[in-house]
Amino acid sequence: MISLQSVTAKAGSFRLSDITFDVPQGSYAVVIGPAGSGKTTLLETIAGVVKATSGRITLGGEDLTGAPPERRRLGIVYQHAFLFPHLTVQQNVEYGALSESIAGDVAERFGVTGLYERPVASLSGGERQLVALARALARRPEVVLLDEPFSALDPRTRTFARRQLRALYYERRFTVLQVTHDFAEAGLLGDVAIMLDKGRVVQKGTPEDVFRKPASPYIADFLGAENVFAGSARPIKAEPPDWLDTAHDQVTELPIAFTTGALTFYALGDLVSGPAHAVIRAEEVSLSAEPSPSSMQNQFRGRITEIVPAGALTKITVDASGTPIVSAVTARSVRELSLGIGKEVVAGFKATAVHIC
Amino acid sequence: MELDASVLETTPPARQPSAVSRAAIAVVVGLLASLFLLFVLAPVVGLVAAGGGRGLSSLARDAELRGSLLLTATTATIATILGVVGGTPIAYLLARRDFRGRSIVAAAMELPLVIPHPVAGIALLLVLGRGSPVGGALYSAGLRVAGSATGIVCAMLFVSAPLYVSAAREAFARVDARYESVARTLGDDVWRAFRRITLPLAGRGLTAAAVVMWARAVSEFGAIVILTYNPKVASVLSYDRFTSFGLGEALPVAAVLVLFALVPLAALRALRRETAR
Amino acid sequence: MAPRVAGGFLFLMLAALADTLVIFIAASLTKPMQPALDTFTARTAIVVQRESGGSLEHARKITELHRIPDLLLLADADVFPRLLPPPFTTWFAEFARNRMVVAYTPKSKRASDINPSNWYDILRAKDVEVGRTDPDAAPAGYRTLLMLQLAERHYRKGGLAKSLEENAPKRNMRANAAELAALLAAGELDYIYEYQSVAESNGFRFVQLPAEIDLGDPSRAAAYRQVTTTIRGSSPGTTMTVRGEPILYGMSIPTAAPHTAAARRFLDFLMKPEVLRQLRAAHVDMLDHPIIVGAGAPPELARGARR
Repeated sequence: MISLQSVTAKAGSFRLSDITFDVPQGSYAVVIGPAGSGKTTLLETIAGVVKATSGRITLGGEDLTGAPPERRRLGIVYQHAFLFPHLTVQQNVEYGALSESIAGDVAERFGVTGLYERPVASLSGGERQLVALARALARRPEVVLLDEPFSALDPRTRTFARRQLRALYYERRFTVLQVTHDFAEAGLLGDVAIMLDKGRVVQKGTPEDVFRKPASPYIADFLGAENVFAGSARPIKAEPPDWLDTAHDQVTELPIAFTTGALTFYALGDLVSGPAHAVIRAEEVSLSAEPSPSSMQNQFRGRITEIVPAGALTKITVDASGTPIVSAVTARSVRELSLGIGKEVVAGFKATAVHIC
Repeated sequence: MELDASVLETTPPARQPSAVSRAAIAVVVGLLASLFLLFVLAPVVGLVAAGGGRGLSSLARDAELRGSLLLTATTATIATILGVVGGTPIAYLLARRDFRGRSIVAAAMELPLVIPHPVAGIALLLVLGRGSPVGGALYSAGLRVAGSATGIVCAMLFVSAPLYVSAAREAFARVDARYESVARTLGDDVWRAFRRITLPLAGRGLTAAAVVMWARAVSEFGAIVILTYNPKVASVLSYDRFTSFGLGEALPVAAVLVLFALVPLAALRALRRETAR
Repeated sequence: MAPRVAGGFLFLMLAALADTLVIFIAASLTKPMQPALDTFTARTAIVVQRESGGSLEHARKITELHRIPDLLLLADADVFPRLLPPPFTTWFAEFARNRMVVAYTPKSKRASDINPSNWYDILRAKDVEVGRTDPDAAPAGYRTLLMLQLAERHYRKGGLAKSLEENAPKRNMRANAAELAALLAAGELDYIYEYQSVAESNGFRFVQLPAEIDLGDPSRAAAYRQVTTTIRGSSPGTTMTVRGEPILYGMSIPTAAPHTAAARRFLDFLMKPEVLRQLRAAHVDMLDHPIIVGAGAPPELARGARR
């Protein structure tokens, strides 16, 4: 677990002020914030690379505020792999590994065993990042800190890396803190979301809390998604692919059925079945009086519970069998459809508009 | 719909110098560069041409010159070793840690560069000479500073160490601190991370810095001659030969010195080529 | 800021308009001569550029580097016939005396004991650091050796010269008298063999040596000539024998001097009684009348001179 209490730190021009949050043991936390908000500094402070000037840092129940990084039993993966250029891939992966065989196992999971003899300079960006992940995880850390590790990868490698990491996470249940500046690429919204801005925690809670009830219009604007549902996903038709069989150069977009509350909608994704979140932008939800016969696969009846004008668009909340769906429509559509509180409408959105993470 | 010609006008392009003026600038820059190169090379080439042959052939008979070259090389090497051992930690701290007084330490390390060399020699004499507390203690223990090879090493170290520290600092700064951070999270303590990651990565730069320091030590005159006139290092000998025998005798010595100094420069080039690979 | 800029500009203008006088001066004469040079510039507006150094160095600058000054003031008149014969110079004038002394400071070991009777015993002792000038590099060096030989004869102690010479080893040698003085001042040496003028102008204490041995009395020239020593010759591998001579400072205007008029004005100034007085007060033992050797000396000098 990770627990920070009133932590302040300074690294160059980046500052952290009064950071307090808890990430329970074995959970997956996401740190979101704009560029320059101190996300990387936060990770480095938890890692002990940056000294906390005040406050307390507790990892796994132990107060490690003054402890040097090597005693903190954690792993860090930056956006740039930082593989040691003067060592081979094998030497990199085995650098702090608990044993060569464990290193070999992890390397195999990330598909980098074949690169073992290669010098670091000959690797592509995607290959490097996979090696960096293997290197950090070969040490079996209790806490894994990720600083946008996938953002610089091509989509194929990104999907593969995310998948392998998640598999390992489910297996070993280490605590993860992943930084991202874009929730959509995070791939997993996690159990805890922490919103950072200008070195301060501006909001924390479950992803729904943060997305549904943003603490400020600025956050709402930054996140830009009004519909976040927690639920469970399961692939339809095909057997769930075993991660061992999936070669990492194949991207599979599976049809997924996502259930939240009383609703089930269809989406496309590559997730292994289990608990997940579905995110839909309000602009992608259209309203009509009757279900349309078009290719939209998700259509739900409901009653309008809220109408909020917001500039050029009006946000309309529809209660569909107990699940609120927010739609953003033009003022013109409001007039044309004579939308008002209590009116029955059909909210619809394409399967491709549903983002499963 | 007819297109109005004014629609086609977009932002006017930035004003480029004409082809003629670009050529003129290139010529002027090329000329200046060539003149500068000539300015630096001509005296050296002239010196070697004038005295190189005689100087090298005289090495066989001239025991004093041989001894002087050996003394110069030995003392410069010792000074460089001391400079590397003492200066590397300072360079590392200056590159990595932002501590209070860092700018003062950095400025102090660069001071010897701005002090005129004879003044540096006098300053060292005041601190390490027999009449000073430190020097007096050394003297009683049997270690003479002035008038000995020790004095030569001290003078060389003083004037050339700043070059090493500033170049070594650059070499460390070029190694991203995050490599060390990663190594730390992988279980290395400060020293181990330095040894296994920072040092190998900065290695070429540090070696180049040491070579620069050695070259500077070998060429020093003003500070050394104040502390130690005898035994004579090569620079003192060449000046002595000039005053005693005149240009004719000084030229070969000077030419041999130049050839002698080409050794570290060649080493430096070889290192740089390897780094670029 | 503005006054400084204006002043600097004025100086440059003056320098451009005014006459210049380039003087090569012996290191040991520099300090005593400086006030005289300043007064001269103030009175005549002639800008003096002085270069101080060893006599040998000055000679080499002329013969090898072809840098001709307007005036030469050297610590050893001997350099003129030896290294700067015609065409470089056709005459020189001996203008001041000097003598060898043993200089020391209150910090020196046994400073409270030393006197004219026991100086050679103290300077022979192993526990004192004794320094001298390099005989191959400067006249003061070989004059020291000559003085030591004279001392051996005078005190009738066989081997004295050798033991004194060995007790001032190579590591305590310096290329010129001024550097040697610096070492004594810094406390690095206990005793040095030095010119009296340098000792006095540095404020050192010194032991006055007998006139028979200190090379300071021109009337004892015959006695001085009894001793010789061998030093490095003018080309490598050769040696040269030098004979004891009274120490006399020499001056000359080189034949090819660019500003002879200014040089002559300076000599005129130098011969004035108040200037002589001031120089003597600065511990330069000026002769009442300079002794001219050779032909072609300017009338300003010849006026007060003896031949």
